[in-house]
Amino acid sequence: MIFPFSAIVGQDEMKTGLILNVIDPSIGGLLIMGEKGTGKSTAVRALADLLPEIEAVKDCPFTCDPSGVLCTKCTEDLQNEGHLHHTRKKMRVVELPLGITEDRLVGTLDIEHAIKKGEKRFESGILANANRNFLYVDEVNLLEDHIVDLLLDSAAMGVNTVEREGVSFVHPARFMLVGTMNPEEGDLRPQLLDRFGLCVGVTSLYDKGQRIEILRRRDAFDSDQDAFYKQWNGEQQKLSERISAARSVVGSIPMDDRVLEKIVSVTASLKLDGHRADIVMMKTARALTAFRGLSTISSDEIRDAAWFALRHRLKRLPFEEIGAEREKVTEALAQI
Amino acid sequence: MNCSSFVGHDEAKLALLLNATDPRCGGVLFVGEKGCGKSTLARSLRSILPSGTPFVELPLNVTDEALLGTIAIEDTLRTGARVFQQGIFARADGGVLFIDDVNLLSPEIVSLILEVQGRGENIVEREGLRMRHPASFILVASMNPEEGDLSPHLLDRFGMCTGFERLNDIAERMAVVRAVICQDQNDSDLELTERIEAARKILPTVAVRDRFLEYIADICMHYNVAGHRADLYLLAAARAYAALNGRSDVSREDINAVAPLVLMHRRRELQPPPPPDKQEESPPEHNHEPPRDNQQEQQPEPPQNNTDKQKHDQPPKPHELPPQKEEVFTVGQMFRLKRIAFRKDRLERAASGRRTRTRARNRGGRYVKSVLRKNRDIAIDATLRAAAPFQSVRKRTDVVIINEEDFRYKRKERKMGHLAIFVVDGSGSMGAQKRMVAAKGAVQSLLMDCYQKRDTVAMIVFRKDRAEVVLDPTASIEHAARRLREIPVGGKTPLGAGLLEAYRLLERVGRKRPETRFLILLITDGRANQSVTEMPPDEEVARMAALMSEQHGIDIIVVDTEEKGRFTTMDRAASIAALLGADYYTIEDLKADYLVDIVKRSSPEF
Repeated sequence: MIFPFSAIVGQDEMKTGLILNVIDPSIGGLLIMGEKGTGKSTAVRALADLLPEIEAVKDCPFTCDPSGVLCTKCTEDLQNEGHLHHTRKKMRVVELPLGITEDRLVGTLDIEHAIKKGEKRFESGILANANRNFLYVDEVNLLEDHIVDLLLDSAAMGVNTVEREGVSFVHPARFMLVGTMNPEEGDLRPQLLDRFGLCVGVTSLYDKGQRIEILRRRDAFDSDQDAFYKQWNGEQQKLSERISAARSVVGSIPMDDRVLEKIVSVTASLKLDGHRADIVMMKTARALTAFRGLSTISSDEIRDAAWFALRHRLKRLPFEEIGAEREKVTEALAQI
Repeated sequence: MNCSSFVGHDEAKLALLLNATDPRCGGVLFVGEKGCGKSTLARSLRSILPSGTPFVELPLNVTDEALLGTIAIEDTLRTGARVFQQGIFARADGGVLFIDDVNLLSPEIVSLILEVQGRGENIVEREGLRMRHPASFILVASMNPEEGDLSPHLLDRFGMCTGFERLNDIAERMAVVRAVICQDQNDSDLELTERIEAARKILPTVAVRDRFLEYIADICMHYNVAGHRADLYLLAAARAYAALNGRSDVSREDINAVAPLVLMHRRRELQPPPPPDKQEESPPEHNHEPPRDNQQEQQPEPPQNNTDKQKHDQPPKPHELPPQKEEVFTVGQMFRLKRIAFRKDRLERAASGRRTRTRARNRGGRYVKSVLRKNRDIAIDATLRAAAPFQSVRKRTDVVIINEEDFRYKRKERKMGHLAIFVVDGSGSMGAQKRMVAAKGAVQSLLMDCYQKRDTVAMIVFRKDRAEVVLDPTASIEHAARRLREIPVGGKTPLGAGLLEAYRLLERVGRKRPETRFLILLITDGRANQSVTEMPPDEEVARMAALMSEQHGIDIIVVDTEEKGRFTTMDRAASIAALLGADYYTIEDLKADYLVDIVKRSSPEF
C-alpha cells in the first residue's frame, strides 16, 4: 500500500508541481531535485491514487486518445470498421527502472507469438505504457546514456517508431516525465533537463512541529496501513475532487494579452532561448489559477509559475552561483 | 559462528539484536579495519533471525542479471515461453541483503540497489522480460574505510552504523579466537533467540509518548542530519530497544542508547538550517559529506558501553571549524577552451585494447544491445527473437529450434572511468600576488571541460600541516566548482602530503574500478616546506614523486604558479615535474587558450 499523498507533511512546492501536471498534462512533467530522504519518491508514487480517468480507445495497450494521434493498430481498426470503441481508464504512474534494456523500453518482436504462430507481432514496451500517463524515473541522473537517448527521441517526437527485428510499429508516446535526483550524485544532461516542464527543489524540513508530524504519521502508517488509509480517505477525496474541478475549468481560463505580455517580459529579461519556457510558464500559471479556484490569472500566479517553469532553464554557465541565478529571477519578477 | 560468542563488540551486537527484533531498524553498516571480525559478526545475524528469514549475500562481482533476475535459458528453450529466473533481489525479499566490502561495489550496482531498496519492489523490464516482484529487504554490510568511500546516498539507507576497533586487548583477542574455534556453543544463541522472540511479541504494543517524539526530532535536528530517515530509524530502534528490555513504553534512555548507532553516519558539520520560509530554495547547498570525514576521524573510537547513558547524552563534538586567519580567493578568469582536454576518439580507445581486456576480466557492465559478433554472453532474448519466426518452418515439436545463425550476443558496456584529480596548493605563498586567483581560473576551465565530457573529478588541497580530500570523486561538476570557490589559502606547504593523499585516492579508486584512467593536475609553486614524515620536506616530495611515477595508467601535469622573472624565482615546481615524469607548464602558459591543447598533447590516453 502506498502512503497517501495528502498525508505528506510540508513539501508544498513539490506536491503542487505534481498536481499541476495532473491538471494540465501538456505542462510536460516535473524534475524533483533534493537531498536524500526528503520524501521525493514517496510523493511521486502517492500521486497515482489521485489520478483521474481519461477517455481512451478500448483495449488499446497504448491508451490511444480517440480524438488524438493513433497507433498503427487503432489506425487500421478505424479504417476497417469506421469507428473506435471508447472506454475510460485511470491515468497511471509508470516506472522506468534503471536496469531497463532497450527492447523493453521501445518494444520489440513478441517472441512467444512468433514461436507459436510463426507471425511477427509487436510487443509493446514501457513507452507504450507511458503514453498519456506519468513516466517516473527515480534517480534520473543515473540513467544510462543510451536509454536517455531513446527517451529524448520519443519525447521530442511524441511518437515511438519501432523498426527492429522485422517488426514495424508506430504508436503515440506522450508522457509526463517525472524524475527525482540527488544533485550530489551527478548532473543531468542539458537536453534531458530541458524536457522536464517544471522543476522543484526539496530540502529537509527544519520545523520541529513538522518533523514530529512526519514521525507520527509514518509510524501510524507502518503500524496499521488500512486504518491510516481510512483516516486519510476524506482528505484524499477532497484533493481528488479539487483536482478534477481544476481540470474541468483549466481550458476556459482566459489567456489575455496582458498575461502573455508579463510572461514574455520575464522570459525575455532572463534571455531564455526558444519558446518552451514561455509556453510552460503560461500553462503553469493557468493550471495554478484553476487549482486555486480563481477565474483569472493574476500576477501572483505568474510569479509562482515562474519559479516552477524557469528554475532549470536559466541560461547559466555550469558554475555560476545559484544565488546569482535566483536574484536574476527575483529581479525579473519584481517588474511584473 | 554464533552471535553470542562475540566479545567486546557490544554496540555492533546490539545493532544486530535490534534489527532481528524489528527490520524497520533499517539494517546496519559495520565499519572497521581488516581482520576486526566485522564480516563474521555481520554473518552471525543469520543465526538470530527468525527461522526462514532470507539472508542473501551479494558478491562484489555481481552482474545486473544476477542481481535483477534474468531469462531462464533452459526453461525458455524447452517451453518456448519466457521464464524468469530469480535474481538476488528476489531471494532477499523479506530478509537481509548482506554485502561484504560494500564500498568496493561498482557505482552501477550501487544505483540498482538504491533504486530497488527504495521502492521495495523490483521492476524487471529487460531481456524481453516484463515482471515485478516485491523486494523489501534490509541492508547489512561491512566496509574497511581504508579501501574507499561509500556513496553518501547508500550510506543513508543504512539504519545504523557502527565502528569496530582493532582488538588490542590480549584477553579479548584470545576470547575471539576461542569463540571462532569452538563453534558448538549454541546455548547462548538460543537465549538470544528467545529474547528476540519475546521482544517481537511485545513490539506492536510499544508506545512512544509525544514528548519522546519531540526528543527524537530534537536530536536529529541537533546533528543536522540530511533528510528524514534518521528520525524514523531512531524511532524504530528505540522501540526495538525497549521491547528487547521487556518494556512497552519508550523512554529517554532507550532513545539515548540507540542514538549513536543511528546518527553515527548521518551527522553533518553544524550549520544553521536555511530559513524555513524560503520557498524559492534552489537545490540544496549543504552538500558536505561529513559521514566520510567522520568515519575516518571518529570510527576508531571504542564501541560505547550501552549501559553508560551519561555518555550517550553527550553530543559528539561538532566538527572543528578552521581558524579564521586565512583568505578565500575568488575564481579567476576562465579561459575559453578551444580543444577539449579529455576527448579521445572512441575508435582510438577501442583500438587500444584496454576495453577488451577489461571485459575479459570481468563480465560486468550493462547489457546495452545484442550483436551478431560472438562473445561469451549469449543474449538469449535476442537469439529467441531471431529464431522465433522460423519455428514452424523448422518443424518445432516441443523444444525451440535454434540454428547457428540465430545466435545473438550481449554487448556490455561499462563506463570507462576517467578521473581527474586536482591537487591544489593552498599554502600562504599561493596568496602572494593573488596567484590563487589565476590558479582557480585554470582549475575551473578544466572543470568546465569535464562537465562537457561527463568525467569525474576529485580535489585535494594541501596546506598547513596536512592534505585533505575536499572533494571525493564526483560526476557533479557544480559540486566541484563550489568546493573550488571555498578553497582557503594560508599556512605552510606540505607538498609531500598532497602527493601522498593523491596516491591514496588513486589506490582506493583503482581497487573499486580497475579500468579507471587518471589524470593528476598538480597546481603548486613547488616550495615544499612542511613534511608529514620525519624526512625533510624535499626528500619526502622526491620519495612520493618516485612512487607516483611508477604507477601505470596515470598522467601527471604540473602547473607552476610561481611568478617568473623575479629575483625570488626558484623554479622548484619544474624539478618536481621532472621527478614525477610529468609535463610542466607555468601559469603564464595557462593564460593562453591553448591550455587544454597542452593537456591533450601531454596525455594522449585521455
